[in-house]
Amino acid sequence: MTANVLIEELGPRGKRRVRIGSGIASVLIALVVFWMYRRLDQNGQLEAGKWTDLFASTTIDFLWQGLRATIQAAVVAGVFATILGFALALMRLSSNRISSTVAVAWVELFRALPLLLMILGVFFIDTSIARGRGGDAILGTFWSVVVALVLYNSAVLSEIFRAGVLSLDSGQSEAAKAIGMSYWQVMFLVVLPQAVRRMVPAIVAQMATLTKDVSLGFVVSYAEFVRRGQGTADFPDSRVGNLQAYVMVGVVYFMLIWAMARFASYLETRQRIAPKTAGPGPGAGDDIEVGVGTTLGPGPA
Amino acid sequence: MNWSEFLDKYQDQLVEATSTTLKLAAVSFAIALVVGVIVVSFRVSPIPPLVKLATWFVAFFRNTPLLVIFFLALFGLGDLGLVYDFFPTAAVALGCYTGAYMAEVLRSGINAVPQGQAEAGRSIGLGFIQLMRLVVIPQAVRTVIGPIGNLFVANFKNTAVASTISVVEATALSKRMFNDAAVGVWRVLFVITVIYLLFLIPAGFVFRWLESRYAIKR
Repeated sequence: MTANVLIEELGPRGKRRVRIGSGIASVLIALVVFWMYRRLDQNGQLEAGKWTDLFASTTIDFLWQGLRATIQAAVVAGVFATILGFALALMRLSSNRISSTVAVAWVELFRALPLLLMILGVFFIDTSIARGRGGDAILGTFWSVVVALVLYNSAVLSEIFRAGVLSLDSGQSEAAKAIGMSYWQVMFLVVLPQAVRRMVPAIVAQMATLTKDVSLGFVVSYAEFVRRGQGTADFPDSRVGNLQAYVMVGVVYFMLIWAMARFASYLETRQRIAPKTAGPGPGAGDDIEVGVGTTLGPGPA
Repeated sequence: MNWSEFLDKYQDQLVEATSTTLKLAAVSFAIALVVGVIVVSFRVSPIPPLVKLATWFVAFFRNTPLLVIFFLALFGLGDLGLVYDFFPTAAVALGCYTGAYMAEVLRSGINAVPQGQAEAGRSIGLGFIQLMRLVVIPQAVRTVIGPIGNLFVANFKNTAVASTISVVEATALSKRMFNDAAVGVWRVLFVITVIYLLFLIPAGFVFRWLESRYAIKR
């Protein structure tokens, strides 16, 4: 949108310059791509067999199980993180000093630590308890990854929920109080239905991030997609190397996350334009002005 | 094992690993700033192939897990005949990852500059480069101090992922200590948590201060 103001309508000289620039840029990009192609070819990475073996049925099956494990962990962690994040947001917004302090401490601590460290931490606490009792691990790799993801994402999601509640016009809760509703009635009948609707795009975007982060389960050997990708490179009867395996994993992962992110931004745009195009329609009255959105979303135009 | 035995055994490694974390965070963030500026300038330029390139760059790095990017960098660069040590590989991969987010942040900042500013610049005869340098960029940067601070923190935390490609920073050391049964898991968690918070809490304060001092409220 701003681009056309920065650049304006180009005159004949400007158009010529853009054409020349485009030509030079295209040539340079083509040269880099060609160079990469040559180097990979010289190193034998482009042999057809190395790539076609990716699609051997055993390999595909092996990878598919990994992808399923990734999605499984993402769904379970997503559900628990949403519930817990919701509870944390309510705790933080409540007037009870103790519960809001607990929520603040939880959010600030778990947002500040690397997720990888938390996965390792949960996993090793689990194994050390098991060692102490002389039994099997209680959580195992799947639940270690899920617990760490829930700790981290509940903290992030609770901030998203809180922002959603705070972004609501205070007239809404004041009006509800004025007709005699209790705190919980105000929250559950008036504030949350509006706030949650507004938060949906940000929640979906966070779910995309969560799905991306399941890959970190790699470090505790949870058999998720990336770990399986590494495994395919070691198949004895397959010519697939590390590069081919990770390109495959990268492409599939990219498509999955990209689709989720696109869905999130679709929801956000729909919300943003709804009041203008639809006028006072079904959505009237819940003054949707700005999706509180991630800082990384498209900026206010 | 008590604390003094623990420190005797791990003091040097802790200092070493902490400084590696700091170095990686600093180098990768510097790379991210440069990458972000270059990518966003391609993105808002009038030259279609550069716009496409920037769009794909951002899409790739934002939608692929950092772990996969690290592995692709490690093996891909090797197969291209560019073999580097683990640390530079990690710094460049992480720098490009954060750089893609940086480009998006900067772009949202540019979009937030009111159109009248650009029009006014135009009307007094500034060219594209002058307009960007003198009018748009200074205002854009000031609106995104907060988001850049968030990126700094995220980038700092993401240095942990470099442990997967053999960079011995704080998280990699934690794994080593977790495997030393004598240390005890809670002690390891406590020590490594303190190390991260020691840098991240002040960083948060600094960026909040910068924001309150320089940011333009819109």
